[in-house]
Amino acid sequence: MKWRILLGTLAIASVVGLLAFVALGERERMAGFTQSYHARQIEVGAALFENNCRTCHAPQGTGIEGLAPAINAADLFNGQRLTAIGYSGTVEDYVRGVIAAGRPIPSSGTNYPNRMPTWSQRYGGPLREDQVDSLVAYIMNWDEQAPGGAQPTAAVPSGDLAGTDISAALPQGEAESGQALAETLGCAGCHLLSTVGPAWRAEGSQRGIGDRAAERILQADYTGQAASAEQYLFESIVTTDAFVVPGFEPGIMPANYGQRLGKQDLADLIAYLLSLR
Amino acid sequence: MSLFRVHLPILDEIKAKGLKPALRDKADDVVTRVTAGLNTAEVRGVLRGDPPGRPNPRLKPHDEGFWLHMRPTYYHNLLDGLYPTFRLGWLSTFFFAFEVLTGVFLMVYYTPSPLVAYENMLNLLSNVPFGRLMRDMHKLGAELMVIVVALHMLRTFVTGSYKKPRQFTWATGVVLLGVTLVLSFSGYLLPWDQLSLWAVTIGASMVEAAPPEMVGRTLNLLVRGAPEIGANGLLRFYLLHIIGLPLVGVVALGVHYYKVIHHGHSLPPEAEEVGVDTAKRVPMERRTYFMPDILTRELFYVSALLALLIGAAAFFYHAPLEPHADTLVTPLHTTAPWYFLWVQGMLKLGDKVLWGLIIPGILSAMLLVLPYFEVGPSRRYGDRRVGLSLGAVAVIALAVLSYMGTPYYGVSTSPDQEAIATLLPQTHPGPLRLAPWEELIVGSYEASAWSSAPTGALQDLLQAFDEEVQRVESAERTGVEGIMVIEDWQAGLKKITLRVLWTETASGESGEFSQTAYLHRDSNYGQGE
Repeated sequence: MKWRILLGTLAIASVVGLLAFVALGERERMAGFTQSYHARQIEVGAALFENNCRTCHAPQGTGIEGLAPAINAADLFNGQRLTAIGYSGTVEDYVRGVIAAGRPIPSSGTNYPNRMPTWSQRYGGPLREDQVDSLVAYIMNWDEQAPGGAQPTAAVPSGDLAGTDISAALPQGEAESGQALAETLGCAGCHLLSTVGPAWRAEGSQRGIGDRAAERILQADYTGQAASAEQYLFESIVTTDAFVVPGFEPGIMPANYGQRLGKQDLADLIAYLLSLR
Repeated sequence: MSLFRVHLPILDEIKAKGLKPALRDKADDVVTRVTAGLNTAEVRGVLRGDPPGRPNPRLKPHDEGFWLHMRPTYYHNLLDGLYPTFRLGWLSTFFFAFEVLTGVFLMVYYTPSPLVAYENMLNLLSNVPFGRLMRDMHKLGAELMVIVVALHMLRTFVTGSYKKPRQFTWATGVVLLGVTLVLSFSGYLLPWDQLSLWAVTIGASMVEAAPPEMVGRTLNLLVRGAPEIGANGLLRFYLLHIIGLPLVGVVALGVHYYKVIHHGHSLPPEAEEVGVDTAKRVPMERRTYFMPDILTRELFYVSALLALLIGAAAFFYHAPLEPHADTLVTPLHTTAPWYFLWVQGMLKLGDKVLWGLIIPGILSAMLLVLPYFEVGPSRRYGDRRVGLSLGAVAVIALAVLSYMGTPYYGVSTSPDQEAIATLLPQTHPGPLRLAPWEELIVGSYEASAWSSAPTGALQDLLQAFDEEVQRVESAERTGVEGIMVIEDWQAGLKKITLRVLWTETASGESGEFSQTAYLHRDSNYGQGE
């Protein structure tokens, strides 16, 4: 009986001691769990990014010109981008909001005419809230080391502006520099990498843009002014809605290429397009 | 004249006896009321271990009080220690109470909705003082309770205590075993992580197999609340866990306890004549009174057990918490909870309906009515060779079936997936996630060249990978290679790709299976959750 009382008292004392010991460590333990859970969110977010986002935003989130902007970019994290669009919340809220609800309307005046789909299940997307949170944690983890921001769009080009007069004479174009331009301008984003715009390359029974350009102007439903393949391409680039290929939406392609391209650039692009047969 | 009259007898007593004696008597009175019959002097005597007066005033609380009327006034001195009952029945009740108390704490922080249940777990772990301790203790208590209740039944079987007149006690005990198992199982779903979702999905799919098809489908809808487990299913499991089953448990426990008092504790088989039950005719000199001996022992057990449980939960045992439940991702090697592995093992024997429902159903029914058809009068071991052998066979069969229920038996997965799952399992952290992050040095490594890896941790990982990769080599697949690529992916984040490559002998084409993991510096998988 006596040893039992002694041991029992010891046991009660050790219960109190253990609870006190746990209590002393609780603050640190909770902070530790918060940190390690945040780290696991980043891991989960990385996998989600790889499966859902990389096709448009590139594997390291540096963006694909013309398809989707860079999110691994200093101007997002230092607030410049938010100031530019007049968003007053935090970067994290902005990222979460855009992922969850997507971009129902393409950003006007930018080089990204694609709509971003909604991702949160709340708005009909595929991801749960915790998955959206994980993606946000992953994207926000770029904060420290994000590179200098999106490449500045080319300033006013050298030489004569292309303008919108499709009957104007163009210099001799070079297909190779046209191809390089198609990538830096972001044309590839819609016309090669996704189906937002008519595909340039030959696909199945459909021939390349170089062949189609000559045929389009002969079609009964053609609404533009072009009289040759070159003029058709000229017109499609600078007066984007003069003729919209059936099955595609008007107003998606930026209408300012006449002011952004020089005559030589335009000629190069046309030469490149005509080479795609 | 007054609307009501107040009469305080204590004032009269103070007037009559003086302040101090009056208050002392009053205190004594209160103690007697609370203890249902013991005054202060007697309580002191109990605690000091003094011999009782005659007639024994310590029997009064058993007669007048609610709680002690469920406990016997005395034990036979052959049964008053840990042997031979191991106090397993008492322990089961202790764990029931323990689970109720820790469970109420957890309920405060829990909402039964798939939208927030997992977040509640995170909140409990990251923001609630003692949150993890309570969760760990609840889970640990649940696992131990299953073991204790099962052992209690086994002990009752071995000592033949289920025999006449205790048949009904046994039957209520079987009900309580069922309640314990389903309670534990229903609690599995509540954290809404991958572990819970898939363990319960496996369990609930048994219900769906019930013939005919309409019954199975209806039962499945009733249990899961929808064709698949979702918001309704979670709510149903929650209500079952916190109200339904505890209610059934309390009712069955009440009957079980009453029967134990009514028939007395059965004595060791060799202590009484064959066919005679002397549990209620204990000679005076063999009695150990509940008060004070059994009571102080139990108080001691409670304090010691609490210390052990808190210590275990604080330092050794952490309830797992896997990633958020995802109905689209089935982890490789999901299993039922360990106490239902035997059913999963039986399922591998053949037909789902026969082995998953009919046979376990028949076995449970047989267990329930065992004492009504096993009516041999003797409880002695020597007279029960057949019964005890059958019991031993049943225990061994359960163990074998449980082994067969694990993924190690009769599950055909491709060896390439197994090779990667060795390092990167989907049901627990596994060696790669537990490896020291700094030692995962960026580079591309071949498993076969594990000995030239730059760090010890990498060498161990690659060696384990190599052993598994070699099993992919077969007549159909040759030239098997295992590759691990580690890339720096983000600040504090590494991307690790495991690839198994081979050449198909028949077609000469090359095949590949690969899996990617991202590991963060701080993710710290070594803590259970």
